[in-house]
Amino acid sequence: MLDVRDVTVLFGEKAALDGVSLTVATEEIVGLLGPSGSGKSTLLRVIAGLEAPRSGIVAFDGVDLGGTPVHERRFGLMFQSYALFPHMTVAANVGFGLRMQGLPDNQVDARVKEALAWVDLRELAHRKVDRLSGGEQQRVALARTLAPWPRLVMLDEPVGSLDRQLRKRLVEDIGRLLKQQRIAGIYVTHDHEEAAAISDRVAVMRGGRVVQIAPYLELVANPADEWVASFVGA
Amino acid sequence: MNRRLWPALTIGLPALFIGYLFLYPLGRMFWISLSGAGFVEVFGSSRFREAAWFTLWQAAVSTVLTLVAALPVTWAISRFSFWGRDAIRALVTVPFALPTVVVGAAFLALSGRGIIAILAAHVFFNLAVVVRTVGGVWSRIDPRVEEAAAVLGASPLRRLREVTLPLLRPALFSAAAIVFLFCFTSFGTVLILGGGRLRTLEVEIYQQAVSFLDLGTAGALAVIQLAVVVAVLVISARLQTRATELTLSSETNLSRPRGRRQRTAVVAVVTATLAALAAPMTVLVVRSFDAGATGWLELFANDGPAATRTLPAIRNSLVFATVTAIIAVVIGGLAAAALARRGRGAGWFDTILMLPLGTSAVTIGFGFLVALDRPIDLRGTLLLIPLAHAVVAIPFVVRVTLPLIRSIRHDLREAAAVLGASPARVWKEIDFPIIARALAVGAGFAAIISLGEFGATSFIARPATATVPTVLFQLLGRPGQVTFASAMAMAVLLAGLTAIIILSVDRLRAGTTGSF
Repeated sequence: MLDVRDVTVLFGEKAALDGVSLTVATEEIVGLLGPSGSGKSTLLRVIAGLEAPRSGIVAFDGVDLGGTPVHERRFGLMFQSYALFPHMTVAANVGFGLRMQGLPDNQVDARVKEALAWVDLRELAHRKVDRLSGGEQQRVALARTLAPWPRLVMLDEPVGSLDRQLRKRLVEDIGRLLKQQRIAGIYVTHDHEEAAAISDRVAVMRGGRVVQIAPYLELVANPADEWVASFVGA
Repeated sequence: MNRRLWPALTIGLPALFIGYLFLYPLGRMFWISLSGAGFVEVFGSSRFREAAWFTLWQAAVSTVLTLVAALPVTWAISRFSFWGRDAIRALVTVPFALPTVVVGAAFLALSGRGIIAILAAHVFFNLAVVVRTVGGVWSRIDPRVEEAAAVLGASPLRRLREVTLPLLRPALFSAAAIVFLFCFTSFGTVLILGGGRLRTLEVEIYQQAVSFLDLGTAGALAVIQLAVVVAVLVISARLQTRATELTLSSETNLSRPRGRRQRTAVVAVVTATLAALAAPMTVLVVRSFDAGATGWLELFANDGPAATRTLPAIRNSLVFATVTAIIAVVIGGLAAAALARRGRGAGWFDTILMLPLGTSAVTIGFGFLVALDRPIDLRGTLLLIPLAHAVVAIPFVVRVTLPLIRSIRHDLREAAAVLGASPARVWKEIDFPIIARALAVGAGFAAIISLGEFGATSFIARPATATVPTVLFQLLGRPGQVTFASAMAMAVLLAGLTAIIILSVDRLRAGTTGSF
C-alpha cells in the first residue's frame, strides 16, 4: 500500500502542499477532489518522484521511496495532456514501459495486444499517434499507463478535455479496468460526480491540504465544514 | 555541456555566421553603391527604368495569373477527400523545389523565349505557394459556417463571395505577397527565357556587375531592390490580421464530393492542373532525345559540347550540397535550439535569422564577391560556394526544424521517466529521435537548395568550381541541335537528382506540420 506522510512542497514562498497525508490500500481507488490550484497535480508529481518534497515521506509497502528515482518506482501516471510520444506508433507508445523493463519483443507484443484490447484499439496499433482523435489518444494513454503492470496508477484528470457524454462512459470503463487488473489507483478530478462514480474513498483538497477523506456518501452526509459541503454538492 | 556555454554557443555561432557572411557583405555593398555613379544617375538611366518597369508589371501579372490558376485546384484539394488526394498535394508542391534553371530549360523547350514563357514559368513555379498557404486555411474553415449561410438563403456564389473569400482573405494576401516577391526577384528563369532583352532588376544587377563590371551601379540597384522587398514585406504584414483564427478549427474538414456536378468539377480541375504541370517536364524529357541518344552521350563525351565538364560539375554539385547541408544543419540547428528556449530577445534573433530569406540570391552572391576578401580572402577557396548556399538555406532549415524541436515537450520526458526510462534512456528514446529527424529534414532542404542554387553561384563560381546549374546555363546559351539536346539531358539529370532528395525528405516529414 501507498503511505504519504506529512508531505510539504514549497513553490518559492508559497506552500503548494502543506503537510499532506494520504494512504491508498491494495486494490483501492482513492479520488482526489478539489478546485484547480489546490495541489492535486503536485501531490501526484511528488508520489511519482517528479517533484521532491521539502519534508515528509512517501513509502510503498513499507519502503521509503525517498532515494528511489522516478524511473525505478514502477508507478503509472497518466498525464492530463496524455504526453503521447509523437514520433512513435500507438503500439510503440503502449509498449514503451515494457521495453524499459527489458522484456523480449514477443512478450512486449503480446502484452501490447492485450492492453489495446482493453481499450478497443487493436485495429489502430500501427497508426501514428498524431493522427488520432482526442478520445482515441486518451485511450492510448490509458493503455500505456496500465500495460507495464504498475504497482499503483495515478490518473490526472484523465477525461477532462473530452465531451460530457464520452466522459461518463470512460470513467466507468477506467473504474472497471482498474478493479479487473487489481491495481490501486489515485484519480484526480474537480468533478464530484466523477469522483463519486469511481472512488472507494474521496480525499477533498483545498489550498494544499487534505481537508477530509471518506467514502463519497459519507462526505455528503457528514461534510467536515460548509466549504466541503458545497464543493461535494451536498 | 556547461550550462552557460551552451546558450552562448547556440546564439553566438549563428549570430557570428549571419553577421560575417550576410550583414557585413550587405554593408560593404551599401558602401560601394555610394561610391559609384550614384543613385541619381541610376534613376535617370533608361536601362534602369526599363528593367524596373518590367520587373514590376511582370511580377504583378505573374501573381494574378498564379492566383487564378491555383484557386481551382486549391479548392479541390482542401475541400474534398478523394483517392490520391495526398499524392496530388505532394505532386503540386514539386515544381516549387525544382531548380530555376531546370524550370527555365523546360519552358524554353516548351515555348521558346519571350514574355509568355516567363509568365508561364512563374505560374508553374509558384502554384505550390498558393496551394499550401491558402489551402491550409481553406481546409480548416468550419463547414457549418457555410452551411449556416446556406440555411439563411445564400446561393453557392453568394456563400463564396460573402463567407469563404473573406475568411480566406488574409491567406490570399500572404500568398500573393510571397509570390510577388519571388517573381519580383526572379533571376534564373528570366535570364534564360528573357534572352537578354527582358530584364528584371535582379538580371540587371548581374549584367551590370558581371558583363559591364560596373559595381557601383550594380550595388545601387541591389539597394533599391532590397528597399522594395522590405516595403512589400512590411505592407503584407500589416494587411494580415489574425482575427479569422476564431472560425478555423484545428483539424481539417474534408468531405467526399457530393453529386455528379461536384465530382465532375473536382476530377476536371485536378486532371487539368496535373496535365499542365506535367507538360513542361514531359517536353523536357522528350527534347533531350532530339538528337536520338546523342544528346545524352555527348554530355559525357570528352569532345562533346559540355567538353568534359559534366562529370566535374556533378561532382562539384554533390560535394557542395553535402557541405552546405552540414554547415546549414549545424548553424541552423543551433539557432533553432536557441529559439526553442524562447528566451529574451528571441523575436529579434528570429528576425535577423530570417533576413536572408527576404534578400535575393544575386544580392548575396554580389555581397560575397565584394566583401569576403577580409580578414582572409575566402573568395579563392572551395568553401565560398557552400557558405553562400548555407546563407540561403539556413532560414529554411530553422523553419523546418523548429516545430519538430518544439514538439519535445517537457511532459514527454516525464512520461518516459515514469514508464521506467533512466535519464540516459530518456535522451536516447525521446530527445534524440525527434532532433535527429528534424536535422535530417533540414539537411535535405539545404541539399535541395544547394543543388538548384543559381543566383549567388553565378556570381562566385569559377571554371573549377562550376556546378550543374551554371554549366547547364552556359549550354543553353550555345547554338546547335545536339548541344540543345545535351542541355535538356542535363536539366533532366538535375531534376531527377532533386526529386530523389525531395521524396526522401517527404518520407521523413510524414505526419508533421510546418510551413513548407
